Amino acid sequence: MTTLKTESPFIALSGVSKTYRTGNESLPIFTNLDMTIQGGDFVAVMGPSGSGKSTLLNLLAGIDHADTGDIQIAGQRLDHMGEAARAAWRAHHLGIVFQFYNLLPMLTAAENVELPLLLKPIPASVRRERVAKVLDLVGLGGRGKQNPTRMSGGQQQRVSIARAIVADPSLLLCDEPTGDLDRKSADDVLAMLGYLNRELGKTIVMVTHDPEAANAANRTLHLDKGVFVENEQVAA
Amino acid sequence: MTFLGLIRKSAVRKPLRGSLLIVSVAMAFLIYGLTASFIAGSQGTAAASDDLLGVMNAAGRAQPLPLAYLPRITELQGVAAVSPITRLRGSVGDARNVVAVSAGNPDKLLAVSGKELGLTNAMVDALDDGRDKVLVGRALAQAQGWSIDDTLTVTAFRTRKADGSRDWRFEIAGIFDGKSPSTDTYFILAQYDYINNARGKNRDTVSTFALRPEPDVSPQQLAPRIDALFANSAAPTRTLSEKQFLSAFLSQYADVKRVVTLVVSVSFVTLLMIVVNTLVFALRERRFEIGVLKVLGFRSSRIMMMVLAEALFVFLVGGTIGICLAKLASLAAPPALGLVLDTNVALRAFALIFLLGLTSGALPALSAMRTPILSAFRTR
Ligand SMILES: Nc1ncnc2c1ncn2[C@@H]1O[C@H](COP(=O)(O)OP(=O)(O)O)[C@@H](O)[C@H]1O
Ligand SMILES: [Mg+2]
Repeated sequence: MTTLKTESPFIALSGVSKTYRTGNESLPIFTNLDMTIQGGDFVAVMGPSGSGKSTLLNLLAGIDHADTGDIQIAGQRLDHMGEAARAAWRAHHLGIVFQFYNLLPMLTAAENVELPLLLKPIPASVRRERVAKVLDLVGLGGRGKQNPTRMSGGQQQRVSIARAIVADPSLLLCDEPTGDLDRKSADDVLAMLGYLNRELGKTIVMVTHDPEAANAANRTLHLDKGVFVENEQVAA
Repeated sequence: MTFLGLIRKSAVRKPLRGSLLIVSVAMAFLIYGLTASFIAGSQGTAAASDDLLGVMNAAGRAQPLPLAYLPRITELQGVAAVSPITRLRGSVGDARNVVAVSAGNPDKLLAVSGKELGLTNAMVDALDDGRDKVLVGRALAQAQGWSIDDTLTVTAFRTRKADGSRDWRFEIAGIFDGKSPSTDTYFILAQYDYINNARGKNRDTVSTFALRPEPDVSPQQLAPRIDALFANSAAPTRTLSEKQFLSAFLSQYADVKRVVTLVVSVSFVTLLMIVVNTLVFALRERRFEIGVLKVLGFRSSRIMMMVLAEALFVFLVGGTIGICLAKLASLAAPPALGLVLDTNVALRAFALIFLLGLTSGALPALSAMRTPILSAFRTR
């Protein structure tokens, strides 16, 4: 399940510009941004609030458009795809983890995790097995029937990680995954992301404010005023 | 979990709101089912025949015609059979328990409207067996709990016997079913001769002549020929088909019916608007969830189908409950109301359920499809 490290980078942004326009005000976020991330990397993106970290993740997830520039992921040009194609692409290649978990309240933990599998031609029995397996992996085996609204923040975030990896995507995007957690839960979540990166070869891009979270990654990018400042680290 | 499971969970996520929605739809379709049954039932003209003709006094339905017209009508070319009919209305037991008696000539009744009323030779023979014998329609017999050989006394509103009494004693010789469930069978068939010979006034007159044209003769062309026969008599006639007659007869209720239909339609539409409104608001709360599904890779078109299916789910469950309640009510209601919820009414109701489910789902579904993922998150 390891991702091949090829010569061409897994993620490549070149000349990406993005400006938010509301009424007659315009707020430039990036101008001519370049960035590459290798397959199998665990990258932390840090930067002050409002510097465009979430915007960057949204561009990588194909849920927001750049004004100009190329966005290439796993050999595919995201900026050339239509909405439906991007949705299909996300279903195949992408897992997302948000600060506030974004679980559906009317579904149980297991049903939340099962959602991405509904988009694939997989029989129900196999779906159930896979859901049980990833819930085990995130340490919530046997809790599948519980409603996530009755779980602690740390547990909810683990459900959302299970949902992000259940369809076995190659890329995980995490927007402040520990931002709402206590230290202990945050460390659990970070350990889990590290495991997914090292053992399962997932490429991870994680936006964070938390210097300890950045330590879990093996590369940190600082985003400020629309430019990257690199800060390589050795993996712990 | 399956897609259907996801839709179901979504539709009933708030049990109170979900049930209220379903109850609203059920009520709307209960109302609809009852009105449609009422219109389709024996109060309507649906089962009335266009083939049968009735000859009445042109001066008004309540005016009699002389029995002496009978041979002239019978001899007219294109007439297959004619029966003199005299009508009598009265009550049985309780003064409010109103029944109608149509008295005719048994053999001729069989020839004229035997098919429509479901009369058999045996029934007509039984009717002919004694002068006070009668045949009772199934709906009336059921409503009154009458069976064959029972005797009953009809206290007529107007028709007196020669001795001044208004009490007419009858013995039930048979029960007729009518051709279809929507045939009006809420009346009594008696013998013309019995009533004609016993009554004090209006002897040898008829309320109407009921006639059946020859099979190859058009009733619409026969009618004016009959009326032409008597155009210059003291009592000119007016000949109508049974259907025209019933429509004319019902027009005195038509205004009531129109008001009922209007009130029903307004409440129907109001309930539906409440349902659509609730669905739209429920969806606002869910912009965030729709965004989540889109982020997970659900296509807009699929999300649109899901929201549509949810509305359809509410309408199907509610509508089915409503139509079933209407069916029960139509079975339990007194036959005099003439509620008939047949396959036709049910099919039309279900077509309406689908149509309304889809249209009321359309607005929320479109807005769900158009919701951009980012704005979905911003509602958080
Ligand atoms: N859809 C939008 N329209 C207008 N302005 C936006 C929109 N999304 C974000 N912004 C603004 O863009 C800036 C960067 O936002 P964001 O990427 O969320 O920053 P970060 O995640 O680094 O805090 C912020 O000032 C934010 O208010
Ligand atoms: Mg952010």
